Amino acid sequence: MMNKGKALSLMLAATLSVSALTACGGNNNNNGAASPSSAASGSAGASGSAASGAKDTITALLPPVSPTYQDNFDQMEKDFNAKYPNLTLKIEPASWEDMTQKLDTQVNAGSPPDIAFIGSDGIAKYVQQGMALDLTDVATPEMTGDYDAAPLEYMKNGSGLYGFPAYMEVHALGGNKEFLEAAGIDWKNVQKNGWTYDEFREAIKKGVVKNGDATSRYGFVFATAGVASKDYLGIMAKSAGMPAAFTKELKYAYTSKNYLELLTDLRQLIDDGSMPKELSSVDAGKRWNMFLTGQTMITGKGLATFENSAKKNNAKIDAKDGSAVKDSIKVDYIVLPVPTFAGAEPVSYTVVDGYVAFRGKKEPTAEHKANIAKAAYFLSSGQVAATTNNDLFAAHITKSGREAAASMPIERSADNVAAVETMLSHAAPARPDIPADLGAKAIKIENEVIIPKMQALLANEIKPQEMYDAVKKAAIDAFGEDGIVQD
Amino acid sequence: MAQSAQTVKKRKIKGDGVWGYAFIAVALIVYALFTAYPVFSAFLISFQEYKPLGSTYIGFDNYTATFKDDLFWKSIKNTLVYTVLTVPVALLLSFLVAIMILPLRKKLQTVFKAVYYLPVVASGVALSLVWLWIFDPMPGGIFNQFIGWFGAHNQNWLGSSATAMFSLVIMAWLSSHGASIIIYLAALLGIDDSYYEAADLDGASFLQKLWHIVLPSLKPTTLFLLVTAVIGSFQVFQNAYLMTGGGPDHATTMVGLLIFDNAFKYFEFGKAAAQSLILALIIALVSLFQFKFLGKDVDY
Repeated sequence: MMNKGKALSLMLAATLSVSALTACGGNNNNNGAASPSSAASGSAGASGSAASGAKDTITALLPPVSPTYQDNFDQMEKDFNAKYPNLTLKIEPASWEDMTQKLDTQVNAGSPPDIAFIGSDGIAKYVQQGMALDLTDVATPEMTGDYDAAPLEYMKNGSGLYGFPAYMEVHALGGNKEFLEAAGIDWKNVQKNGWTYDEFREAIKKGVVKNGDATSRYGFVFATAGVASKDYLGIMAKSAGMPAAFTKELKYAYTSKNYLELLTDLRQLIDDGSMPKELSSVDAGKRWNMFLTGQTMITGKGLATFENSAKKNNAKIDAKDGSAVKDSIKVDYIVLPVPTFAGAEPVSYTVVDGYVAFRGKKEPTAEHKANIAKAAYFLSSGQVAATTNNDLFAAHITKSGREAAASMPIERSADNVAAVETMLSHAAPARPDIPADLGAKAIKIENEVIIPKMQALLANEIKPQEMYDAVKKAAIDAFGEDGIVQD
Repeated sequence: MAQSAQTVKKRKIKGDGVWGYAFIAVALIVYALFTAYPVFSAFLISFQEYKPLGSTYIGFDNYTATFKDDLFWKSIKNTLVYTVLTVPVALLLSFLVAIMILPLRKKLQTVFKAVYYLPVVASGVALSLVWLWIFDPMPGGIFNQFIGWFGAHNQNWLGSSATAMFSLVIMAWLSSHGASIIIYLAALLGIDDSYYEAADLDGASFLQKLWHIVLPSLKPTTLFLLVTAVIGSFQVFQNAYLMTGGGPDHATTMVGLLIFDNAFKYFEFGKAAAQSLILALIIALVSLFQFKFLGKDVDY
């Protein structure tokens, strides 16, 4: 029988072994696809010895992209397997709330899924970490040729193609038709020809309704708190002569004088009383609630799918369904463009989300990479894309998706469809030329300076000039005097 | 003789000793896996530029960057302000509630204990959502309606630098004292009745009994609650993350939130690890200070 000392030593050794094994969780040299089941099934990438046509499992982390998206997972897995009998698509569902955190945890542990549904603006940070998987050499011409050129560009960084786009949505504003017409706003003209800041400012003043000192309806409410905190300024800046954070010469753009003018204009809308003075605390849910309950004439940001949401709520009101938004009124949703600032040309903010490919710590085999490309293409084109984008009221961006959608008519306002097409015609181009390290610095300035200062500006605690100076100082610290726009 | 000692040792390990080691091993393994190993990893990572595909050793760069970072010092200041404003009031409120519950009948005491302890059991996220509703910035918000009765203007509670920190402090004052109340009650019930009887014979008033009997008797409990509350307050994260996100203009960025942002927003795990260790050092120093100056005559 061992003595106490030996027993203790053995126990400590065992403890360290267990912790070492745990550490190996992030060091297991898998290819990112190696869930236990995939390893057991002889994952091509995991084994690193797969021959063409060998069995392989591709894992995908997918949020509820559309209201019915996650209901179709079983069918999607079956259809993929029917198309590629040697391949298994293993979908892990995630909520929007924990999607990024779940993915980032897996990425940093070195064992991400093969595919994740994320915004194209998130690609740069994973490229910088070396964890995004370049599909350039395995994406066939048949695959890449199916996509519209503009959204496909969004999935690139430098010379790499890191996934396939699912849709290209335009960030617009949304109006209540009845209120717009009561305020004498020619919304059809605005849909076709856009509006300047001054025209927009006068229009939303007309939408304000007061009961004594209290405002019962605002002209415009944009969500500026919570996850939407960076949207307001980002969307408006596009049409203020700054379509991206960097110019084509890779100089930081938000030090332009146009930025100061934009900040001044946005503050002015609150000072006019057209927007709530508590705007800095209005989050995405609240502003949509304010829109449906008639507390604002125009809301932002607006996506095409909101027309569908408004329609569904209207139907619930008609049916006296208790699940309709409390105190809501029937709303005809009108898509409206963002105004232009400082005499700039209209440039629409587009959001391109899609299926981005990831790698684990071990270099995946060419066969596994090809299989990931097949799965990403399957999810972002044809029947799957048609079903999802119809559910979202989003435009189709693949030929195969358009063909599949031809037999799935949806009831949608023709005026809104045309307005979205007009906005897409002057969408901000993708900027794969912006190096990942510059992009990361810009994101840090956005998070550490722009968003906090914008909150203070909206709360009337600082002046536009103070915010502009703070952004300029941070930009000079990050990029140097020569790395920023000085006009 | 030596042989005999060895036999005794063997007998001990065979008997209770084996089970003792087995039980200790469970705790030790859990401790090693979920406490010691992460702390040791954090220490190593704090000297690296962390990347999943291979980290680089960068010496003390993460520490020097942290000390040069204005936001880090602002977050320390915010955390100190939050701690100073919340901990003493929270302890006082817990003590007062415990004193008020103490004379009640046992059943009624239990009811109050359960009522005050309920928020501790409830999800912090759910509580934060309730408080977001209370602090709704529009005129219909509960707090705004309340101050409106006194003729005060509508406040943008969480959206203004002037009120955001105060709003978090109010939230801390009015929620989750359940554990402290229970501990104070247990300590109060542990005070020997003979002290009160002697004080009654001497004609001592309620306040005199409170000052000369209750407070000295509760000093170990108060010190324990103070130290744990300060540690908890230094690590505050959830309230700022869910209620304000650290804003506006970093007015409520606590050091815990800053560490989270560095790690999970910017993927600067090395910097986050360095800041975690600095925070641990600060907490250790503050705790040491509390024990040294407040725990001189406290016996455990």
